Amino acid sequence: MNDLLTKFSHRILSDRKLTQLLVIAVITFSSFSLLSKDIFFSGSNFTSMAYQIPEIAILSMAVMLSMLTGGIDLSIVAISNAAALVAAYIMTHHEYAKGENVYLWILFSCLIGIVVGLLCGLVNSVLISILEVTPILATLATLTLFNGIAIGATGGKANSGLPEEFLRLGNGTFLGIPTPFIIMLIVAGILGIFVNRSGIGLKIFLIGTNRKAAQYSVMGDRKVIAITYLVSALLSSIAGLVIASRTSAASPDFGSSYILLAIVIVVLGGVNPNGGFGTITGVVVATAVLQFVSSGFNALRFSQFFYLISQGAVLILVMVLNVLVDRGLSARSKSKAIGN
Amino acid sequence: MNKSFLKKLFGRYEVLLLAAIIVFSLIIGIKSPAFFSLANLFDIFRSSVVQLIFALGVLIVIVSGGIDVSFPVLGIFAGYATVVLMKKQNFGADNIWIPILIAIAIGVLLGAINAMAIAGFGIPTLIATLGTAGIFRGFMLSYIGSSFISDIPIALDKFATSDLLKVQVENQPLARLHILIIPVTLLVIAISLMLNRTMFGRSIYALGGGVEPTRRLGMGVRRIQTKIYLLVGGLSGLAGILYVSLQRKANPYDLAGSELDVIAAVVLGGASIMGGYGTVTGTVLGVILINLIKGNLILLGVSGSWQRAAVGLLLLIGVTGQAISEVRKRKRARMTAALEEANL
Repeated sequence: MNDLLTKFSHRILSDRKLTQLLVIAVITFSSFSLLSKDIFFSGSNFTSMAYQIPEIAILSMAVMLSMLTGGIDLSIVAISNAAALVAAYIMTHHEYAKGENVYLWILFSCLIGIVVGLLCGLVNSVLISILEVTPILATLATLTLFNGIAIGATGGKANSGLPEEFLRLGNGTFLGIPTPFIIMLIVAGILGIFVNRSGIGLKIFLIGTNRKAAQYSVMGDRKVIAITYLVSALLSSIAGLVIASRTSAASPDFGSSYILLAIVIVVLGGVNPNGGFGTITGVVVATAVLQFVSSGFNALRFSQFFYLISQGAVLILVMVLNVLVDRGLSARSKSKAIGN
Repeated sequence: MNKSFLKKLFGRYEVLLLAAIIVFSLIIGIKSPAFFSLANLFDIFRSSVVQLIFALGVLIVIVSGGIDVSFPVLGIFAGYATVVLMKKQNFGADNIWIPILIAIAIGVLLGAINAMAIAGFGIPTLIATLGTAGIFRGFMLSYIGSSFISDIPIALDKFATSDLLKVQVENQPLARLHILIIPVTLLVIAISLMLNRTMFGRSIYALGGGVEPTRRLGMGVRRIQTKIYLLVGGLSGLAGILYVSLQRKANPYDLAGSELDVIAAVVLGGASIMGGYGTVTGTVLGVILINLIKGNLILLGVSGSWQRAAVGLLLLIGVTGQAISEVRKRKRARMTAALEEANL
């Protein structure tokens, strides 16, 4: 009976984070809409937010995946830039013959970019699963290495002048919805199936919950971890391509602040930093909350740096709230146990 | 000298690091004799001094089992705010101690905010400092200032060129040893003594070894954590104002983003990211090794833009080597345990 009770309370606890986050999302959205009726609550603001959310949301999903196994992937931005740079290089260093299908060539370059991203992910996988390097250290090293190689190879210069057809991917709309947003939804959907409905997805959660137990149950924990970092690299590469097509450039040092921002989002989204728990919905909603806050303060003409304060404050407040509620719950369950 | 002593000596990670530094220096020196000049040696010190002070703070946090990513922002906040304050109130421009003390005070104050989040509310260190880093940076840029100050107080400006000794060797550039070598050496020794010889220092290692065991030993975990983050705040504030002084300008956009580089230097120095292990000697050597490579890659004929890749490669070798030796050690321990059991 007690067992069932704890299980039940765990359920509520885990759901609670998402509920809490949704409440925060609604509150921030409606308060900014009230405060700034004509700027924040306007179609153009919604569209611009829909263009900005996807890239960071996809990167955050990559971080979330590694965090589910109890690790972390700091190399996401380095990988996404690597993929974007390679794709951009192939796209811009090609003489387009007349009548040639440009889209085919763009698709080819994107695929090569993703392959390069996956190779980077493979380095992470080998380091973490075979050589048993702690994930945060392995990816800290590869982050520096990949970024360094990108800077060395490009001389630190950005690669712009991407073909018009490629830019449409990041700046166009499909059925009135910005394409990056649709890409994000598709990625989130596929990742959701992978994480929640596949055997490997289940193993990811099990490893994150208790690595030792996973090892003893001979589920091939190394293989699962290797796959996790590969998928994380795949997601990063996709994000890199989306960024390149939205900003019409690929650069070796784009978005270095995104690493820490992605961690903020993932933690806000209710993913347990020690592994074992997290939802994709949570991550997407958390991205939206931070975007509301940043666009909102912008619409209210706060200092352009005020969003930094608000991001930090939202993170700390949510964490404090979690701690306080957890303390309250555990105190209640303790007193109940004593009463019994 | 017996065999086990040699084995012990070479088993120490710090000796390996020192060997790596010597080998690199020899390679660079053979390729370009200009490397072996007093001026170059002193330049390596000057370019790594700020990173070294940050690294000492990071070492303390990592040994305690935490990760701090707010220290560069905290440092530049303290440095920049001090300059702004002194210029606005127009005081103490010709005294070097005033800005240093103010910056340390601001650092400790900001450290107290970190301590409140970490020790007070029990938020995991990485997440708490991610949050505070955003708050500090945003607050500085929104309310203290976001523009570059080039005419910093005169004493700070002068301090950038206060040399302990100047050596002029023939056919070589003037070698200047900055006066900071004395206080920084003292600081390094003080931190080392604190970590190894004081109750507080040992409790930091204990905390890194495990929170629950530390609690059961009767040490106040929250008190230790509070002290750690106050101390690290002060150290970062000091590093921040020295950075401003050595650069001879206060730029609020500087330093942010360098957190992972400093953590990398400390990790390269052999500190365990899981906590409980790390030495000041290793950290000093790690910082020197990274700056040696960063600053002298050009002498090897490698273009400066490959600097970061070289550091990345070095880091990769370092962490992989550490991991492999760790796995081996575990295996050996298991073997001896099994053998002992068989003998019984």
